[in-house]
Amino acid sequence: MSTWIVIVAVGLGSYLFRLSMVILTGRITMPAYLERASGLVAPAAFAALAAAGVAEACGGHGLTQAAAPLIAVAAAVIAVLRTGSPQAAILAGLPALWVATALLPS
Amino acid sequence: MVPWLAGIVPFGLVIGVSAAQADIPAMAGWLTGPLIYAGSSQVATIGMLDAGAAPVIVVASALIINIRLIFYSATMARYWRGTPWWWRLAAAYLIVDPSVAVGLDGYQRLSRDRAHAHYFGGAVLLWVCWLAAIGAGATVGAGLPAWLHLEFVMPLYLVGAVVPKVTSPAQRRAILAAATVALLALSAPLQLGIALAIAAGVIAGLTAEPRR
Repeated sequence: MSTWIVIVAVGLGSYLFRLSMVILTGRITMPAYLERASGLVAPAAFAALAAAGVAEACGGHGLTQAAAPLIAVAAAVIAVLRTGSPQAAILAGLPALWVATALLPS
Repeated sequence: MVPWLAGIVPFGLVIGVSAAQADIPAMAGWLTGPLIYAGSSQVATIGMLDAGAAPVIVVASALIINIRLIFYSATMARYWRGTPWWWRLAAAYLIVDPSVAVGLDGYQRLSRDRAHAHYFGGAVLLWVCWLAAIGAGATVGAGLPAWLHLEFVMPLYLVGAVVPKVTSPAQRRAILAAATVALLALSAPLQLGIALAIAAGVIAGLTAEPRR
Protein backbone atom coordinates (compact mmCIF):
# COMPACT_ATOMS: atom_id res chain seq x y z
CA MET A 1 0.00 0.00 0.00
CA SER A 2 2.70 2.47 1.00
CA THR A 3 4.44 1.77 -2.32
CA TRP A 4 1.53 3.32 -4.21
CA ILE A 5 1.26 6.27 -1.82
CA VAL A 6 4.99 6.98 -2.20
CA ILE A 7 4.81 6.93 -6.00
CA VAL A 8 1.72 9.13 -6.11
CA ALA A 9 3.26 11.57 -3.58
CA VAL A 10 6.51 11.86 -5.54
CA GLY A 11 4.49 12.29 -8.75
CA LEU A 12 2.28 14.98 -7.26
CA GLY A 13 5.24 16.84 -5.75
CA SER A 14 7.12 16.68 -9.05
CA TYR A 15 4.13 18.07 -10.93
CA LEU A 16 3.87 20.97 -8.46
CA PHE A 17 7.59 21.69 -9.03
CA ARG A 18 6.97 21.73 -12.80
CA LEU A 19 3.97 24.00 -12.47
CA SER A 20 5.35 26.27 -9.74
CA MET A 21 7.19 28.92 -11.74
CA VAL A 22 4.76 28.74 -14.65
CA ILE A 23 2.08 29.90 -12.20
CA LEU A 24 4.24 32.23 -10.07
CA THR A 25 6.14 33.61 -13.03
CA GLY A 26 8.00 36.82 -12.34
CA ARG A 27 7.04 36.96 -8.67
CA ILE A 28 9.95 34.91 -7.28
CA THR A 29 13.61 34.82 -8.21
CA MET A 30 15.64 31.75 -7.32
CA PRO A 31 18.98 32.25 -5.54
CA ALA A 32 22.03 31.39 -7.65
CA TYR A 33 23.55 28.96 -5.16
CA LEU A 34 20.36 26.89 -5.29
CA GLU A 35 20.69 26.67 -9.06
CA ARG A 36 24.30 25.43 -8.68
CA ALA A 37 23.20 22.94 -6.04
CA SER A 38 20.41 21.58 -8.21
CA GLY A 39 22.94 20.76 -10.93
CA LEU A 40 24.87 18.63 -8.44
CA VAL A 41 21.94 16.61 -7.11
CA ALA A 42 21.65 14.20 -10.05
CA PRO A 43 25.36 13.23 -10.17
CA ALA A 44 25.40 12.83 -6.38
CA ALA A 45 22.24 10.70 -6.42
CA PHE A 46 23.54 8.55 -9.27
CA ALA A 47 26.88 8.01 -7.50
CA ALA A 48 25.16 7.13 -4.21
CA LEU A 49 22.70 4.72 -5.85
CA ALA A 50 25.49 3.12 -7.90
CA ALA A 51 27.71 2.64 -4.83
CA ALA A 52 24.85 1.18 -2.80
CA GLY A 53 23.82 -1.10 -5.68
CA VAL A 54 27.35 -2.44 -6.17
CA ALA A 55 27.78 -2.97 -2.42
CA GLU A 56 24.49 -4.86 -2.29
CA ALA A 57 25.58 -7.08 -5.18
CA CYS A 58 28.86 -7.84 -3.35
CA GLY A 59 27.14 -8.70 -0.08
CA GLY A 60 25.66 -12.08 0.74
CA HIS A 61 28.26 -14.01 -1.25
CA GLY A 62 31.58 -15.62 -0.42
CA LEU A 63 34.71 -13.50 -0.60
CA THR A 64 35.65 -14.63 -4.11
CA GLN A 65 32.13 -14.29 -5.52
CA ALA A 66 31.94 -10.76 -4.08
CA ALA A 67 34.78 -9.85 -6.44
CA ALA A 68 32.60 -10.47 -9.52
CA PRO A 69 30.56 -7.22 -9.28
CA LEU A 70 33.77 -5.27 -8.63
CA ILE A 71 35.37 -6.78 -11.73
CA ALA A 72 32.24 -5.85 -13.70
CA VAL A 73 32.37 -2.25 -12.44
CA ALA A 74 36.07 -2.02 -13.33
CA ALA A 75 35.29 -3.27 -16.84
CA ALA A 76 32.45 -0.74 -17.11
CA VAL A 77 34.61 2.20 -15.99
CA ILE A 78 37.40 1.26 -18.42
CA ALA A 79 34.91 0.85 -21.28
CA VAL A 80 33.31 4.25 -20.63
CA LEU A 81 36.69 6.00 -20.39
CA ARG A 82 37.87 4.31 -23.59
CA THR A 83 34.76 4.90 -25.70
CA GLY A 84 33.37 8.04 -24.07
CA SER A 85 29.92 6.44 -24.29
CA PRO A 86 27.85 5.90 -21.11
CA GLN A 87 26.10 2.92 -22.75
CA ALA A 88 29.43 1.06 -22.87
CA ALA A 89 29.13 0.50 -19.11
CA ILE A 90 26.36 -2.09 -19.52
CA LEU A 91 27.73 -3.55 -22.76
CA ALA A 92 31.11 -4.26 -21.10
CA GLY A 93 30.08 -4.65 -17.46
CA LEU A 94 27.32 -7.23 -17.80
CA PRO A 95 29.34 -9.78 -19.84
CA ALA A 96 32.27 -9.20 -17.44
CA LEU A 97 29.93 -10.05 -14.55
CA TRP A 98 28.77 -13.26 -16.25
CA VAL A 99 32.33 -14.40 -16.99
CA ALA A 100 33.60 -13.49 -13.51
CA THR A 101 30.68 -15.21 -11.79
CA ALA A 102 31.23 -18.36 -13.88
CA LEU A 103 35.00 -18.48 -13.37
CA LEU A 104 35.38 -17.47 -9.73
CA PRO A 105 35.08 -20.36 -7.23
CA SER A 106 32.07 -20.02 -4.93
CA MET B 1 14.64 15.22 -30.55
CA VAL B 2 16.11 12.09 -32.18
CA PRO B 3 19.51 12.24 -30.41
CA TRP B 4 17.64 12.64 -27.11
CA LEU B 5 15.49 9.60 -27.87
CA ALA B 6 18.62 7.53 -28.53
CA GLY B 7 19.75 8.46 -25.03
CA ILE B 8 16.50 8.09 -23.11
CA VAL B 9 15.19 4.84 -24.63
CA PRO B 10 18.03 2.73 -23.14
CA PHE B 11 17.51 4.53 -19.79
CA GLY B 12 13.78 3.72 -19.93
CA LEU B 13 14.53 0.08 -20.74
CA VAL B 14 16.93 -0.13 -17.80
CA ILE B 15 14.36 1.41 -15.44
CA GLY B 16 11.78 -1.11 -16.66
CA VAL B 17 14.18 -4.01 -16.13
CA SER B 18 15.14 -2.81 -12.63
CA ALA B 19 11.47 -2.28 -11.72
CA ALA B 20 10.72 -5.86 -12.78
CA GLN B 21 13.57 -7.14 -10.56
CA ALA B 22 12.56 -4.96 -7.60
CA ASP B 23 10.33 -6.09 -4.77
CA ILE B 24 7.39 -3.85 -5.76
CA PRO B 25 4.24 -4.54 -7.83
CA ALA B 26 5.01 -4.55 -11.58
CA MET B 27 2.32 -1.94 -12.25
CA ALA B 28 3.77 0.36 -9.57
CA GLY B 29 7.15 0.28 -11.27
CA TRP B 30 5.67 1.22 -14.63
CA LEU B 31 3.46 3.91 -13.09
CA THR B 32 6.55 5.81 -11.94
CA GLY B 33 6.78 6.68 -15.68
CA PRO B 34 3.55 8.67 -16.13
CA LEU B 35 3.36 9.84 -12.50
CA ILE B 36 6.93 10.92 -11.69
CA TYR B 37 8.17 11.23 -15.29
CA ALA B 38 11.82 11.99 -14.45
CA GLY B 39 14.29 9.13 -14.82
CA SER B 40 16.74 9.81 -12.00
CA SER B 41 13.93 10.33 -9.51
CA GLN B 42 12.21 7.15 -10.72
CA VAL B 43 15.45 5.20 -10.21
CA ALA B 44 15.76 6.50 -6.64
CA THR B 45 12.10 5.76 -5.87
CA ILE B 46 12.20 2.20 -7.22
CA GLY B 47 15.61 1.46 -5.66
CA MET B 48 14.73 2.80 -2.22
CA LEU B 49 11.30 1.12 -2.15
CA ASP B 50 13.02 -2.14 -3.12
CA ALA B 51 15.51 -1.69 -0.28
CA GLY B 52 12.68 -1.16 2.20
CA ALA B 53 13.32 2.51 2.96
CA ALA B 54 10.81 4.44 5.05
CA PRO B 55 8.15 6.10 2.82
CA VAL B 56 8.96 9.62 4.05
CA ILE B 57 12.65 9.17 3.23
CA VAL B 58 11.84 7.90 -0.27
CA VAL B 59 9.51 10.81 -1.03
CA ALA B 60 11.98 13.38 0.34
CA SER B 61 14.94 11.94 -1.58
CA ALA B 62 13.02 11.65 -4.86
CA LEU B 63 11.71 15.20 -4.57
CA ILE B 64 15.17 16.60 -3.74
CA ILE B 65 16.40 15.03 -6.98
CA ASN B 66 13.55 16.79 -8.81
CA ILE B 67 14.19 20.30 -7.45
CA ARG B 68 15.78 21.10 -10.80
CA LEU B 69 12.27 20.96 -12.29
CA ILE B 70 11.55 24.26 -10.52
CA PHE B 71 14.37 25.87 -12.51
CA TYR B 72 13.06 24.35 -15.74
CA SER B 73 9.63 25.68 -14.81
CA ALA B 74 11.08 29.17 -14.37
CA THR B 75 12.93 28.84 -17.69
CA MET B 76 9.82 27.89 -19.66
CA ALA B 77 7.45 30.25 -17.81
CA ARG B 78 8.75 33.33 -19.61
CA TYR B 79 7.83 31.81 -23.00
CA TRP B 80 4.42 30.61 -21.87
CA ARG B 81 2.91 33.90 -20.74
CA GLY B 82 -0.42 34.52 -22.46
CA THR B 83 -1.06 30.88 -23.35
CA PRO B 84 -4.37 29.28 -22.24
CA TRP B 85 -4.29 27.87 -18.69
CA TRP B 86 -5.11 24.33 -19.88
CA TRP B 87 -2.16 24.50 -22.27
CA ARG B 88 0.15 25.51 -19.43
CA LEU B 89 -1.15 22.72 -17.19
CA ALA B 90 -0.39 20.13 -19.88
CA ALA B 91 2.89 21.70 -21.04
CA ALA B 92 4.16 21.89 -17.44
CA TYR B 93 3.45 18.19 -16.91
CA LEU B 94 5.77 17.41 -19.84
CA ILE B 95 8.70 19.43 -18.41
CA VAL B 96 11.80 17.24 -18.09
CA ASP B 97 15.47 17.59 -19.12
CA PRO B 98 15.19 16.63 -22.84
CA SER B 99 11.86 18.40 -23.51
CA VAL B 100 13.20 21.65 -22.01
CA ALA B 101 16.37 21.43 -24.11
CA VAL B 102 14.40 20.82 -27.31
CA GLY B 103 11.79 23.42 -26.36
CA LEU B 104 14.37 26.14 -25.69
CA ASP B 105 15.97 25.43 -29.04
CA GLY B 106 12.60 26.04 -30.69
CA TYR B 107 11.89 29.27 -28.78
CA GLN B 108 15.25 30.65 -29.91
CA ARG B 109 14.76 29.76 -33.59
CA LEU B 110 11.04 29.81 -34.40
CA SER B 111 8.05 32.13 -34.15
CA ARG B 112 6.21 31.89 -30.83
CA ASP B 113 3.30 29.82 -32.19
CA ARG B 114 5.52 27.39 -34.08
CA ALA B 115 7.81 27.09 -31.06
CA HIS B 116 4.86 26.12 -28.85
CA ALA B 117 4.00 23.36 -31.33
CA HIS B 118 7.68 22.37 -31.51
CA TYR B 119 7.86 22.00 -27.72
CA PHE B 120 4.57 20.16 -27.41
CA GLY B 121 5.20 17.79 -30.32
CA GLY B 122 8.68 16.90 -29.13
CA ALA B 123 7.56 16.54 -25.51
CA VAL B 124 4.64 14.22 -26.39
CA LEU B 125 6.89 12.09 -28.59
CA LEU B 126 9.38 11.85 -25.73
CA TRP B 127 6.61 10.91 -23.28
CA VAL B 128 5.30 8.11 -25.53
CA CYS B 129 8.77 6.67 -26.14
CA TRP B 130 9.66 6.88 -22.43
CA LEU B 131 6.57 4.97 -21.28
CA ALA B 132 6.97 2.41 -24.08
CA ALA B 133 10.62 1.84 -23.17
CA ILE B 134 9.82 1.30 -19.48
CA GLY B 135 6.98 -1.07 -20.40
CA ALA B 136 9.22 -3.03 -22.78
CA GLY B 137 12.00 -3.23 -20.17
CA ALA B 138 9.60 -4.41 -17.48
CA THR B 139 8.06 -7.05 -19.76
CA VAL B 140 11.37 -8.43 -21.00
CA GLY B 141 13.10 -8.09 -17.63
CA ALA B 142 10.49 -10.15 -15.81
CA GLY B 143 10.92 -13.16 -18.09
CA LEU B 144 14.70 -13.49 -18.28
CA PRO B 145 16.75 -16.05 -16.27
CA ALA B 146 18.45 -15.15 -12.98
CA TRP B 147 22.00 -15.89 -14.20
CA LEU B 148 21.81 -12.80 -16.41
CA HIS B 149 21.98 -10.74 -13.16
CA LEU B 150 19.71 -8.05 -14.58
CA GLU B 151 19.51 -6.52 -11.09
CA PHE B 152 23.04 -5.27 -11.85
CA VAL B 153 22.02 -3.42 -15.01
CA MET B 154 20.96 -0.30 -13.08
CA PRO B 155 24.20 0.06 -11.04
CA LEU B 156 26.16 -0.36 -14.29
CA TYR B 157 24.00 2.22 -16.05
CA LEU B 158 24.60 4.67 -13.21
CA VAL B 159 28.34 4.03 -13.35
CA GLY B 160 28.22 4.84 -17.06
CA ALA B 161 26.30 8.05 -16.38
CA VAL B 162 28.64 9.19 -13.60
CA VAL B 163 32.09 8.39 -15.03
CA PRO B 164 32.06 11.05 -17.83
CA LYS B 165 31.09 13.71 -15.27
CA VAL B 166 34.30 13.39 -13.22
CA THR B 167 36.00 15.89 -15.57
CA SER B 168 34.14 18.75 -13.83
CA PRO B 169 35.73 19.56 -10.43
CA ALA B 170 32.41 20.33 -8.70
CA GLN B 171 30.72 17.20 -10.03
CA ARG B 172 33.80 15.08 -9.25
CA ARG B 173 33.66 16.19 -5.61
CA ALA B 174 29.92 15.58 -5.48
CA ILE B 175 30.30 12.09 -6.96
CA LEU B 176 33.18 11.01 -4.68
CA ALA B 177 31.54 12.37 -1.53
CA ALA B 178 28.16 10.84 -2.35
CA ALA B 179 29.61 7.41 -3.17
CA THR B 180 31.75 7.43 -0.02
CA VAL B 181 28.90 8.41 2.29
CA ALA B 182 26.58 5.89 0.60
CA LEU B 183 29.09 3.10 1.37
CA LEU B 184 29.73 4.27 4.95
CA ALA B 185 26.01 4.61 5.63
CA LEU B 186 24.98 1.27 4.09
CA SER B 187 23.53 0.00 7.34
CA ALA B 188 21.96 3.32 8.36
CA PRO B 189 18.38 2.91 9.60
CA LEU B 190 15.43 3.56 7.25
CA GLN B 191 17.80 3.50 4.26
CA LEU B 192 18.70 7.03 5.23
CA GLY B 193 22.12 6.48 3.62
CA ILE B 194 21.10 7.54 0.11
CA ALA B 195 19.55 10.79 1.34
CA LEU B 196 22.62 11.54 3.48
CA ALA B 197 24.89 10.72 0.54
CA ILE B 198 23.05 13.08 -1.81
CA ALA B 199 23.27 15.88 0.77
CA ALA B 200 27.00 15.22 1.32
CA GLY B 201 27.60 15.17 -2.44
CA VAL B 202 25.85 18.48 -3.06
CA ILE B 203 27.66 20.18 -0.16
CA ALA B 204 31.02 18.82 -1.32
CA GLY B 205 30.30 19.98 -4.88
CA LEU B 206 29.38 23.48 -3.72
CA THR B 207 32.76 23.82 -2.00
CA ALA B 208 34.49 23.54 -5.39
CA GLU B 209 35.37 26.77 -7.20
CA PRO B 210 32.32 28.07 -9.05
CA ARG B 211 32.73 27.86 -12.81
CA ARG B 212 32.67 31.15 -14.65
